[in-house]
Amino acid sequence: MLHIKLTSIMVEDQAKALAFYTDVLGFVTQMDFPVGDYRWITVAAPGRDDLQLALEPNANPAGKAFQQAMFEQKIPVASFESTDLDEDHARLVARGVAFTQAPTTAGTVKIAIFSDTVGNLIQIHQAL
Amino acid sequence: MFIDGATFRRLVRARELLADTALPVRAIAAQVVLSPSYFIRAFAALFGDTPHQFRTRVRVDRAKALLAGGRSVTETCFELGFSSLPSFSGLFTRWVGAPPTRYRTSLAVPGLRILVPGCLGMLAQLPFGALGNCR
Repeated sequence: MLHIKLTSIMVEDQAKALAFYTDVLGFVTQMDFPVGDYRWITVAAPGRDDLQLALEPNANPAGKAFQQAMFEQKIPVASFESTDLDEDHARLVARGVAFTQAPTTAGTVKIAIFSDTVGNLIQIHQAL
Repeated sequence: MFIDGATFRRLVRARELLADTALPVRAIAAQVVLSPSYFIRAFAALFGDTPHQFRTRVRVDRAKALLAGGRSVTETCFELGFSSLPSFSGLFTRWVGAPPTRYRTSLAVPGLRILVPGCLGMLAQLPFGALGNCR
């Protein structure tokens, strides 16, 4: 039986990424180990370690090119579920987060998109 | 902060100019038609670095690539337009955590190390038991 436990996103700077994903977004560090020149870092939502997100370095030039192209095309690389999107949007704006899409209702969901400051656009969504 | 589509494109353009030209930050702000103070604030919110920090990051990344490709520290320094070896070495050390000479000699096979594996592969290098808490 397989289940989804771990996924990852590439980040420009792992230390900055960890600070953003914990201090700003509110996730909790699950693992943080040095591996060579880099670190193995995972975060999860508080009380929800059933799915972890690894913050992996984008040091591979192919990864960096992909990340930059997605960003410039305004394509988010992940979508996090919100239980109250307007509240999360206000909380993140108060912490200086830059949104490229304000909360918008689209069909059966409300979505918004912000920059994670380490090279990615991230979508948040709430089912209506 | 909300960054509309037009401003987003201007900031992306400004990032290219920062990476590829030596234009001062103020001149780049003017070129993309944003006030300098708003430009710096919005750029930092979107990209996580001030324009000046971003430019430094690009230069350091290029230095790492040149060193990894086998270039000497002196060649790298002048190719990237630094005025002196101490200024290059000092900046590099602050950003990378090791002086350029040490960084260069630490590369067992020049050119190979920057090709970090798909980093989920790093799972295999974790200390024994590290995954024990995520069943």
